[in-house]
Amino acid sequence: MARLIRTEKEVEGRYEEVWLVVEEDVLQQWPAGARTIVGQPAVRMDGFERARGEAVYTADLKLPGMLHTAVLRCPFAHARVARIDLGPALAMPGVHAAVGPGDSPVLQEECGYQGTAVAAVCADTYAQARAAVAAIDVDWEQLDVLLDPDEAIARKQLVGEPRERSRGDLEAGLAEADVVVEGEYRTQVVLHNSMETHQSVVQWVGDTLEVYISTQYIWGVREELAEALGLPGDKVRVICHYMGGGFGSKNGADDYTYIAIELATRTHRPVRCALTRREENLVTGNRNATIQRLTIGARADGTLTALGGEYVNATGWDGWSSPVEGPMQQLYSCPNVKTTTYAAKINQPPMKAFRAPGFVEGTFGLESLIDVLAAKLGIDPLELRRKNYAGQDPSDDRPYSGKNLLECYRRAEPHWERRHDVRARSTDTVKRGVGMASQIWYGGGGPPSYAWIRVGSDGRATVVTAMQDIGTGTKTAMAQIAAEELGIPLEHVTVSIGDSARGPFASISAGSSTTPSMGPAVRAAAADAKRQILEIAAQRNNLEERVLDIKGGNVVSADGNLDEPLEQVVGLLESAQILGKGARGPNPTGMHVLTFGVQVAEVAVDVETGEVWVDRIAAVHDVGRVINPLGAESQIEGGIIQGIGHTLSEHRLNDPRSGRILTTSLDAYKLPTIADVPEIVSELIDAPDEQLTNLGSKGLGEPPIIPTAAAIANAIRDATGAEVHELPISREEMLRALREAKERDPAGAPAGV
Amino acid sequence: MHSGKPRSVIQLELRQASSTETGGALPLHGGTEVIPLLRAGLLQADTLVDIRGVIPCGIDGARIGAGATLAELECDPQVPAALREACRLAASPQLRNMGSIGGNLLQATRCWYWRLNWPCRLHGGDECFARDGEHREHAIFANDFCASAHPSDVAAALLALGATLRTNRRALPIADLYRVPSEDDRRTTTLEPGELILELEVPEPESSVYLKAMARKQFAFPMVGVAAARSGGVTRIALAGVAPIPWLLTGDLDEATPLPRNAYKVDVATALVKRAVSALKPG
Repeated sequence: MARLIRTEKEVEGRYEEVWLVVEEDVLQQWPAGARTIVGQPAVRMDGFERARGEAVYTADLKLPGMLHTAVLRCPFAHARVARIDLGPALAMPGVHAAVGPGDSPVLQEECGYQGTAVAAVCADTYAQARAAVAAIDVDWEQLDVLLDPDEAIARKQLVGEPRERSRGDLEAGLAEADVVVEGEYRTQVVLHNSMETHQSVVQWVGDTLEVYISTQYIWGVREELAEALGLPGDKVRVICHYMGGGFGSKNGADDYTYIAIELATRTHRPVRCALTRREENLVTGNRNATIQRLTIGARADGTLTALGGEYVNATGWDGWSSPVEGPMQQLYSCPNVKTTTYAAKINQPPMKAFRAPGFVEGTFGLESLIDVLAAKLGIDPLELRRKNYAGQDPSDDRPYSGKNLLECYRRAEPHWERRHDVRARSTDTVKRGVGMASQIWYGGGGPPSYAWIRVGSDGRATVVTAMQDIGTGTKTAMAQIAAEELGIPLEHVTVSIGDSARGPFASISAGSSTTPSMGPAVRAAAADAKRQILEIAAQRNNLEERVLDIKGGNVVSADGNLDEPLEQVVGLLESAQILGKGARGPNPTGMHVLTFGVQVAEVAVDVETGEVWVDRIAAVHDVGRVINPLGAESQIEGGIIQGIGHTLSEHRLNDPRSGRILTTSLDAYKLPTIADVPEIVSELIDAPDEQLTNLGSKGLGEPPIIPTAAAIANAIRDATGAEVHELPISREEMLRALREAKERDPAGAPAGV
Repeated sequence: MHSGKPRSVIQLELRQASSTETGGALPLHGGTEVIPLLRAGLLQADTLVDIRGVIPCGIDGARIGAGATLAELECDPQVPAALREACRLAASPQLRNMGSIGGNLLQATRCWYWRLNWPCRLHGGDECFARDGEHREHAIFANDFCASAHPSDVAAALLALGATLRTNRRALPIADLYRVPSEDDRRTTTLEPGELILELEVPEPESSVYLKAMARKQFAFPMVGVAAARSGGVTRIALAGVAPIPWLLTGDLDEATPLPRNAYKVDVATALVKRAVSALKPG
């Protein structure tokens, strides 16, 4: 039955109170542990088509008569278009249309950051469009740039109001402390750099706008565009069958889609607007830089008495203030906590969500300083973390729906124990050590989300829902859930996704929410179909439904007398089908649904050259029931690799005077290579969250990237005594920290610095 | 733009002489540098001349054809260790399969200001934007006029090995191929228009080594590359990534003139030079 509820909806740490229509989730969870299909490793069902190049991404799409777009973007960090003449561009060969400021809300005269879209041209080929953009006659008036986030705050140039979160009395907590440690940590701007650049192909089909787009949120794009264009929702059809990555940067329609729509409207042709790799490195969002000024107070026994943080998000010209203070507020039990978070408005491209926005940065600062505290107190870092374990959410005393962080710590012990052996392998110039860091994050998903399923007379099923697979393998997970519930082989399930005209509403693929949002709806749809199949079987065999089940593709009775292939039971349907419908039920009320984990890193530091190697990372995460252990392992590995890039090599650099961006290509912006990838040991607690849906599953997209930087930084500290305070841990930062450690303790620091 | 394939070096020179109107002709071998520079608008050409048929290739003892790829060099036992290692540690396997050693010596700096076509001194302008700007990857020697860093691992190895080059005009020690850019001449090489490197002569050292520091474990230009070679009892040390040209270390690393944000390169170079020298086999 549909029910109207007032509930908190969370996406990546941003909560809002909303009215939701939800349907009751009446199914009992499956017992814990691996089932016949769910919990068993499954190869991606679309792996071969992706590997063979048969999967058609937005980037591969070629529609008849399609035009190509190039965009004129502001080359300065702050400028105004003094004069613009599109005439010369229109006169160039192959050009069909040109648009400038005033033609679309995304084309602007006032440019607050480098890369602001100003004008666009579409032509028969991309080369022609690019040449035409170069021919646009434009005069820029350069304006003063503000780049320093601290200065922006002093000038009150902010994106939104500062966020203050407080409990207890910080000053009293510090007064109570036997030991107080302080530290300033800085994190850099890093870029998503998805394999498939941001892009759309747009065409009008009658009065319907078709938008092929590389997106994390088909329905969000549909709603956004319908509203912007004043169209009924179903006159906007959004399609994304395959996606080459998003990491949080593809949640909206963005400038390229609006530009393509305007040009398609003017030319009556399909129009592609695809960003180049250089544009991708400028304007598709970023994990903004942060400054974190942190204080921790503790009693001699390690009990935390005070946590204080002043956080600065260098947000950029626009965006939102990521919850960089979240780990300090939520990770540990501590009565006195006060954080203030500012979002500095500077002349830099706007931030966007990037795989656990805020928590990656905040965990680096907090967990680094926790280890400084552990060293000062002479307490084992693992013990210190256990000591301050939070049994309920410390920020509002609400219970968790499920939390197995202590079990994660227990499972991390053998990895942590390796530190003695690792350290013993140090030489005069290469010091080795082990570090750990905890992880807390959201990832519970939520309603609304819907799925349909149809079962044909051949006993095969198709899941139909208009969700997208961001690349994490959720499509395969949905097939596993449907196959498990229906009791049929995995190969008998097809999943049809990626088209708002062909399936019901589905959730965003952000905030680690696809599996926990969609999975329960798919299971409910499968259960609805199964109920109908059993009704048919009961009538055919004169048995009660309650004694019937489907196992291995056969309808069976409890006494074993009936064991009939499913296709025989439903064969009478011929071309007709059994139709099942399912919805995601509500989240548990009054509880926080969070994910937890811990990572243990082993590193080596060359104390003469400042080189850091990561040799091994063990990751233990608690995300509830695991649907596909193989896919989950891939998620953990991907998160850690991206985390290693964030920790050691990735850095978007600007000219400090003009603010213009210098790293616009992948030779300058250094993503990790396979040679940078260490041994990764993945472990999952795999215990269903009993309060959460009919699956007990949470998301795993984001958790693995969260503790990696801090675990590496703490391992460096363990190896060398040097405290790194900045990401990335470049040679410069590593050598600085080694020198500082030597000045602090000439006897204790390694030789060679 | 069109492309052609010459039958000889003389014909190539004629072609270059005859197509000087706008961009002129540009020799193309592996294309790993020329194509990106063309795409970025940093090079212009009407004609690309495929010179793979006319540039000597292959390795014969101390003689190395300028068309030999880095991939061939990195695994040939005739090649001195420093050069083999410099090739192996450069770029990626795909790029090393395409890139020739002659082209590698002529690659341009990775200075972001230069690559983004800022009107810097190397582009004929009157300012080095890196000196007062973002220079963490830049030069610590000879950086007064232009702080760009030369990115060739291979050139540093050849400099330490005392290689000589033969062009279609002359023979020259590799050191003479390079010049520090100055106010009146912004070029970093002495190659004349129409001059092509054809062959290298790399004397067999008693011992040689190449060590490289980079921002990730592979597929990056040198932060600091150190080549050391001992021949006839004399040890020569050359550095990559520390000056606008491959840098023969004649004095002490203390003589470096780092900028505020690249002093760490002096520490890295100091450690690598010490290691390179001690890695040379006892003579």
